[in-house]
This record gives sequence, C-alpha cells and structure tokens, in this order.
Amino acid sequence: MFSRTRARTDLSKMNSPSAHVICGGLTFQEVPVELREKVAFRDGQLPDALAQMRQMLGLREAVLLSTCNRVEYFGATTQPDQAAAAWPDFLRQFHAVSEDFSPLSFQLRGMPCVEHLYSVASGLKSMVIGETEVLGQLKDAYEVACTHGQTGKWLNRLFQSSFAAAKSVRTHTAITRGHVSVGSVSVELAEKIFGDLHACHVMVLGAGDTSEKTARSLLGHGAPSIRVANRTFERAEALAAELGGEAVPWEHWEDRALDVDIMISSTSAPHYVLTRERLEALLQRRARRPLFLIDLAVPRDFEPSINLLDDVFLYDIDDLQSIAQTHLRKRQTEITRSMEILKPHVERYMEWAGRQTGDPNANNVSRGPVQA
Amino acid sequence: MLGLTGSVNDRLWLFLATLGYLASAGWGLYALSSQRPLANRGAFVLIAIAFVLHTVFLQERGQAIQHCPITNLFETLAFFSWSLVLTYMVVGPAYRMSILGAFTAPVVFLINAFALAAPIDLPGKLPQLGWQLELHATLALLGLGVLGVAAMAGIAYLIQERQLKRHVLTAWFYSLPNVGRLEQVQQRVLILGFVIFSAGTILGFFIPHRGPDDWVKIAWSAAVWCLYAVLVGVLALGRLSHKKTALLSVAGYVFILLTFWGINSLSEAHVFPHEG
Repeated sequence: MFSRTRARTDLSKMNSPSAHVICGGLTFQEVPVELREKVAFRDGQLPDALAQMRQMLGLREAVLLSTCNRVEYFGATTQPDQAAAAWPDFLRQFHAVSEDFSPLSFQLRGMPCVEHLYSVASGLKSMVIGETEVLGQLKDAYEVACTHGQTGKWLNRLFQSSFAAAKSVRTHTAITRGHVSVGSVSVELAEKIFGDLHACHVMVLGAGDTSEKTARSLLGHGAPSIRVANRTFERAEALAAELGGEAVPWEHWEDRALDVDIMISSTSAPHYVLTRERLEALLQRRARRPLFLIDLAVPRDFEPSINLLDDVFLYDIDDLQSIAQTHLRKRQTEITRSMEILKPHVERYMEWAGRQTGDPNANNVSRGPVQA
Repeated sequence: MLGLTGSVNDRLWLFLATLGYLASAGWGLYALSSQRPLANRGAFVLIAIAFVLHTVFLQERGQAIQHCPITNLFETLAFFSWSLVLTYMVVGPAYRMSILGAFTAPVVFLINAFALAAPIDLPGKLPQLGWQLELHATLALLGLGVLGVAAMAGIAYLIQERQLKRHVLTAWFYSLPNVGRLEQVQQRVLILGFVIFSAGTILGFFIPHRGPDDWVKIAWSAAVWCLYAVLVGVLALGRLSHKKTALLSVAGYVFILLTFWGINSLSEAHVFPHEG
C-alpha cells in the first residue's frame, strides 16, 4: 500500500506546488468503529459540514467522504498544517464530542494524497479488498461538494481522474472478482447457474440468521419471491414478514418447493431434512430445470449425495466459506498489479499539477511524506 | 497436392487462415485463464481475420473453378469448417458468447490442418452442380456448422457444470457464461440448425442424378438428421437433463467430425454428373 503518515506541524513543504492537494482523516485501519460512528456524517449534514470544514481547515476546495469505514477530507490548500491541526477540532466541534482525534488522524500531501485517493477509489484500501461500493460513495461525496460549489480545478481534476483510474483497475485486473461473504458467494453461484435471478423463486427452511442474510442477498439481486418454512410457524411468519415473503407450514414445504429454484436451509434438525430419495421424488414432480441448494446448517440438512443428481447444485457452509476465502486471497494478489496500473494515472495528474504551478519538479517534491 | 486450378495461390489463403485460427485458439485459451475481461477481444479479432482469409480462399477457389467450392473433399472440409466459423461469428456476438471462439478456433484449426495436409485436393473433372445441388450442399454444411456451435456451447456447459458440481472455481468459471445462458443458446442454435439441415436434406431428394442412390450417404444424413431431431425433441419435451443434452450434442458433433471424411470418401452420391 502507499505510504501513510500522521499529520505533523511542519511548514517545510508549504511552498511546494504539489502541496495543493491534501487529504486526511480517520480510517477503519486505525480507528475502531466505536469512535468512527461518533464522527460519521449523515447525507443531510454534508453541505453544512463541508462549508464549516472548509473554513476551519483553511481549504480553497473541499470534499468530505463519510462511509462506515472512513471519514476523510480532500482539499486544495497552501496551508496543509493548518488543515491537519484544525481537523480534530472540526470533528469535535461539529459532532459535539470530547474525544481527541489528533493521534488517530492522518494527513497526506501531494503525490501520496493522489495515490491514496486513487487506491481508495479502486477499492485497494477497503476492508474488503476490491469492493466497489466505495467508488459510488466517493462519487456521491464529490457530487455533493460540486453541487455546493466547494470544488475547483484541483479537486475536479483529481476526482474525475480517480474515477477513470478506478475503472481502469477494475477492467484490467481481477481485484473486484469473486465474492467474499457467504451471502454474496451464494448470489454469485446462483447467477452462474441461472444467469438472471429475476425469475428465480427462493425457499428458506429454518429461520436462522445466516439464511436470512443469504436470502436478503438473493432478493437484493432480483429474486422475485421468497417462501419461509419453519417448524415453529410463528417464526416462519415473522421472517417472511421481514423479507416480504410467504410463510409455509413445515408439513407442506415439499409441495411448495415444486417451482422453487433456490433452497436455503439452516434448521437445527439432527438428521437430514432432505434425503436423496426424497429429492428424487420431488424432482419427478417438478419441471426440468436447475435447482440450487444452499445448506448452511451444522449438522447438514441436505444429504451430500444429492449433489450427484443432474441439474442439482449443492453447497454447504464449508464450501461457501472456502470459496469466499479463496476469492479474498486472489484479490490480495491483485493489489500489486493494480498499483502498477494506477502509477501512470498518478503521474499524469502530477504532471498536470506541475504545469498548473509552473514547477516541473512537482513530482519529486511531492513524493516525500509529510515531515515530522 | 495442387488444387483443381493447378495453383497453390488459393491454398495459401487457407493456410494463412489456419494459422490465424491457431493463433486465435492460443489467445482464446489465454483469455479463458487470464481473468481479464477484455482479453477475449484479441482472440475474437484473430478469428475474425482468419475468417476473412478463409472466405477469400473459398471465393478464389470458387472463381477458379466457376462452381461453389465443394467439388472435392478438400473444398468440402474447408467449407464445412467455414460454416462452423460463420455460425460462430453470428451467434457469438449476438448472444454475447464470443468466448465460445476459444473452443471453435481449435476445432477449425484441426479440420483445416487435416484438409491441407491430406492428399485430398485432387484435380478432376468439374461436376455440373446446378443451383439445387449447390443449395442442398450449402444448407447441409451450414446445418452441420450450426450443430458445431451448439456442441461448443455444450462443451462450455459441461466445463461450467463440472466446476459448479465439484465446487472448484477456476479462472474459467469467471470467463465462461452462466449455465442457464449456455442452455438457452444451445437450444436456440439447435432449433435453427435443425431447420437449416432439414431444408438441405429435403432439397437433396429433389436433385436429379444419374446412377443408383447413394445409400451410404443417405443413411449417414438420416442418422445426423435423427440426432438433430432427438436433440431438439428432448429439449422441447424436457426429457433429458441439461448435462445429458450437452453430452449428446458434443458426442453427435464428434461423430460427424470422425465420420465426415470417411463417408464423403465412400459416398457415391457426390460422384456428380460430369460435364460432357
């Protein structure tokens, strides 16, 4: 990853043209969620917060990014030390909290700042490497700042080029490929089996937490309906209501499974809920099309030999977790390649910045970290 | 080894096209393994260039002999492989299945390499084809080409299905389309191919010819037509699993590949009525 340094009070780089862009803030890597949640900005707060922050930090231009994993500012200024010093005060004042965020905050200037933004946009600094949600959040943060007249040529160029850089990384590497949670791996597998999930009906057996999350993921990706069966009908009703689905009495789940495409099971039954023999009988009654079975229960609910039947795809919790881990490892191996792709984008921005200030050595000057 | 024209010029086009298919096959395999979303574009460009060269060969040969270039086994094999690529060039982009080129290119390379290497481009009297015979042969060969693309989709399906069953997701898993899409494409392609092949076969009954009927060729064509009918039938009736349907289409095409040369060598139907 790119170098990161704490904000310190030093004015040695103040006159560097590359010091025009700075960034800083708090991230999940150094600040626990108990503190981050105290200084997170709601969408509605951003316009006021931006104006206040810009004034207190002495920024000519400003963008404020607030996600569940980071609260960061990006700015253009000739007084980065003022910004570093005022940032914790701004957080305290705006959110009316007493914590001192100085030791937890970082600040980057010039090229390291550019590298940082491009890495964040590409998902290289995310908790889940390669996730793409942060790019949307960055776009939203930039949009808010733009709309309220808080950006100018430095940040406009910086953010727009960061979006292009992130796209390039996504296109030319596998950094976003492969999902890394049980729910998203299930969705990925379902999409590889059925393609579009808009015609896939889902059934949940047992009202467990993981099965609920997995069902939500499938619904979020277009599954049109869900049925919930549980030995305690009231629990089935409660979960069905939460998911916007239909509760099915336990004794009728097989009849209601005839047109189901995806079945998630997480009951606490000590024996198989669905044996190969019972499924074969069920398949005889249903139209020929694939069936995706997700067994999240321990002990397992579906007899493993079911996977030998044609058009039936069975995954248990270990299979899904193993795939998620493999994906995560693969994403991590893509970081170096992603950074190589980002390099020319960073250089192009720094060359442009150098031309704006008439300083051809802008790159060299800006490469160093903020001084202690 | 010289063509009917006595020139190696048109064979050179086919030779270059064959090299293009080989390069495309290599690039396609790389694209399947690379997990780079745009890697397959190179393979598609290569197969498109090879297809143009292949077409130039057929056009040159056709002009030289003043007939549809299916007058000997060499030309027939070249036309047979060309029909496979033609179908791929239509189906691949239309269904966003360009990755099937990774399977198509090696097959076409092997067919063409065999055609170029075997002593089958023999000079002889030019048969008097006539439009009915040309259309019959063209439709029949196109029908076989379409079955070839269905088989390529079947191969892709079997690979994806195997990975999903074994829970081992390699780079190919991400490069290949989802199994639902592969089934859909295979089904549509088979119906299209069945219509084309049936039209070509039926037309064959109305072509005037001299001498006895060629029962070898008729039996082989009937077997291929039955294969097609079974495939389309089981798909429509939902009698076989997707896996078995894919296996059947692949096995059927392998049968055609293995018997095409022999049947066409033995066949007397294509001892056409000669001029003069």
